Amino acid sequence: MSKRIVVDPITRIEGHLRIDVEVDGGTVRNAWSSGQMWRGIELILNGRDPREAWLFTQRICGVCTTVHAIASVRAVENALALEIPLNAQYIRNLILAAHALHDHMVHFYHLSALDWVDVVSALKADPARAAALAEGLSPWPGNGRLDLQATKDKLQAFASTGQLGIFTNGYWGHPAMKLSPEVNLLAVTHYLQALDQQRAINQVVAILGGKTPNIQNLAVGGVANAINLDNQATLNMTKLFKVKDLIDQARAFIEQVYLVDVCAIGAMYAEWLGYGAGVTNYLAVPDLPLDAKGTTFDLPGGTIFNGDLATARAITSFTDPYFRDNVAESIARSWYKGDWTRHPWDEETDPDYKAYDPGGKYSWVKAPRFQGQPMQVGPLAQVLVGYATGHEATRRWADRALATASKVAGARLDPKVLHSTLGRHLARAIRAAVICEVAAKHWQLLVDNIKSGDTTIFNQPVFPRGEVRGFGFHEAPRGTLSHWVVIRDGVIANYQAVVPSTWNAGPRDGKNQMGPYEASLVGNPVADPEKPLEVLRTVHSFDPCLACAIHTLDPEGREIARVKAL
Amino acid sequence: MTPIQVIGLGNVLMGDDGAGPYVIQVLDATYAGPERVSFVEVGTPGLDLIPYIAETDTLVIVDTVRASGRPGEIRLYGRDDLMALAAGPRLSPHDPGVKEALSALELSGRGPRDVLLVGLIPERVATGIGLSAAVRAAIPVAVETVARELAARGARLVPREPRGTPDIWWERSGPRPAIPVTEPGCTR
Repeated sequence: MSKRIVVDPITRIEGHLRIDVEVDGGTVRNAWSSGQMWRGIELILNGRDPREAWLFTQRICGVCTTVHAIASVRAVENALALEIPLNAQYIRNLILAAHALHDHMVHFYHLSALDWVDVVSALKADPARAAALAEGLSPWPGNGRLDLQATKDKLQAFASTGQLGIFTNGYWGHPAMKLSPEVNLLAVTHYLQALDQQRAINQVVAILGGKTPNIQNLAVGGVANAINLDNQATLNMTKLFKVKDLIDQARAFIEQVYLVDVCAIGAMYAEWLGYGAGVTNYLAVPDLPLDAKGTTFDLPGGTIFNGDLATARAITSFTDPYFRDNVAESIARSWYKGDWTRHPWDEETDPDYKAYDPGGKYSWVKAPRFQGQPMQVGPLAQVLVGYATGHEATRRWADRALATASKVAGARLDPKVLHSTLGRHLARAIRAAVICEVAAKHWQLLVDNIKSGDTTIFNQPVFPRGEVRGFGFHEAPRGTLSHWVVIRDGVIANYQAVVPSTWNAGPRDGKNQMGPYEASLVGNPVADPEKPLEVLRTVHSFDPCLACAIHTLDPEGREIARVKAL
Repeated sequence: MTPIQVIGLGNVLMGDDGAGPYVIQVLDATYAGPERVSFVEVGTPGLDLIPYIAETDTLVIVDTVRASGRPGEIRLYGRDDLMALAAGPRLSPHDPGVKEALSALELSGRGPRDVLLVGLIPERVATGIGLSAAVRAAIPVAVETVARELAARGARLVPREPRGTPDIWWERSGPRPAIPVTEPGCTR
């Protein structure tokens, strides 16, 4: 008999991601993804100064601050056909790269590793054996026996005070947990090391962006970082060398720890390279521009349809009509008036909440479509598009990751395994390794450009009388982000943000096509409906980012999340 | 002297959820020190809170709270209250994450020992800028509460002379006059 499971942390705050699945015979047969909170950034921005929009958009989401700031200034610059100076481009790129590295480390170690790692099991590990195991896979100096013993001691002390409760969302002892105690100990050690690493790379954002998490240095037309290599108060050589050190440090951790861990977990849970593919149309936009206009990039973008890499078509510039003309959003199953599918410039926001109805309207999230198709966005799309279009660094790191995973698995894994739940984690680590290399390159480009005598950081925007339209995209950690703006007489007349988690977490559309979360859950196993760890594994692999708006603590300790098996 | 971090949490685009950031701006405009005290407004960072609290011994959080009482009332909670929150399955990185951040830091042997939550009960948390009258009226009370609690911890706040104007930039309405448009004389 089929059973309905609802995973719904809604009780903590007013809005969130809710997942409903129907399970029959231990397998998910149907799924619904619902965003439970309405956002309406356009209603806040209409009538405002386009030069200030980025200050507001970076508040849409508390985790993805920087990315909404950058997409916003790019959208306004696009509307004005305004180029930005090379220094501004490189400084933005370094901030974006550092933000992405920070985000990926936090996502894997602190938000989703515990879906795979059983913390309590690590208490039974033999540190010497764990160290020997690690030695065969990585030269990382933090894998020594003493390091691992220290983690075990900390964990023991923590457990003895009864505090392991924070890891309950990892469901320890769950039948779907299968790493050895030694591998679990290594993973917990890296969880702790990643706390320092993510803080370190975040400093790059702070050095270049001013305060974090909400950066201060952007402007429509460039950046506000005065450059004088000999002045303490400006961007100077001391600060630039600090940035370089931090990038190098992140690079070592990502290449020697993060990528290796993900490969090992991928190999040890090889069956999860077979679940969770879902929508295999992929979309990524190019990023890290190399020129003032945004016509050449260090990270590739494009589309793939039906999982067939031969269908790859590139998106080539900040003005590419292939992207501009093919994005639309459907509200057929979303809580807005009507059932239209429209281009973002032509959308209106008219909320119309009704009861949750899986047969009708059931989400605040709209359903974005590209040429009418649902698209998966995120690191997997980024890596597959790069792989298909022959992006050298992506191919090299993807091949290396698959070789490492194959070695641990004792079986040859080919790129097809990436269309899966664990494939998304692998792709995120591959992308992180690529970004480290590119960040180091853009650091050098910035330094060389400054040394050549160019200290320009800003081109003045001028707004025309009448109406102009613009779009700005950024390939964010969670995938393709685009902002769409209509400006009339220098004032915002319409604004839409089509965010990565909308592409992935969106509901069905007018043609009843499922969104990527929904499709990826169908076919997943569920061993214990009361503890649907497997559902969390697949949803977490997308790095969901939906409850972007508010922060209300519930210190009187009421129920904060629930799993209901009906 | 050990550092003290005063952090405002919440979203300025979501009505009363902006109370934490608002209080921080007022504190920053009103007080110049002491040096060991910093006022930081971090939005809704979830687990990304960690970088902002890792190196402090004393943490004061200003945030909205879901608690029984009338909008604008202030409730104080300690570290134990926060740590007693149940952990549950998490779908997104945005769950408030204060407890998780404190726990992760504790496991690594760091993080604040003394934690105080100054909680404001909100009236309206929904898309839109601006505080409800009840919460707006409570802002000076929250500011005084923070000052009193810091003094009790040996950090007496030093008034700024002259007192500054809080930068509540998100409440500035509409376009500012100087948008450069190509037709001279057009400011709108």
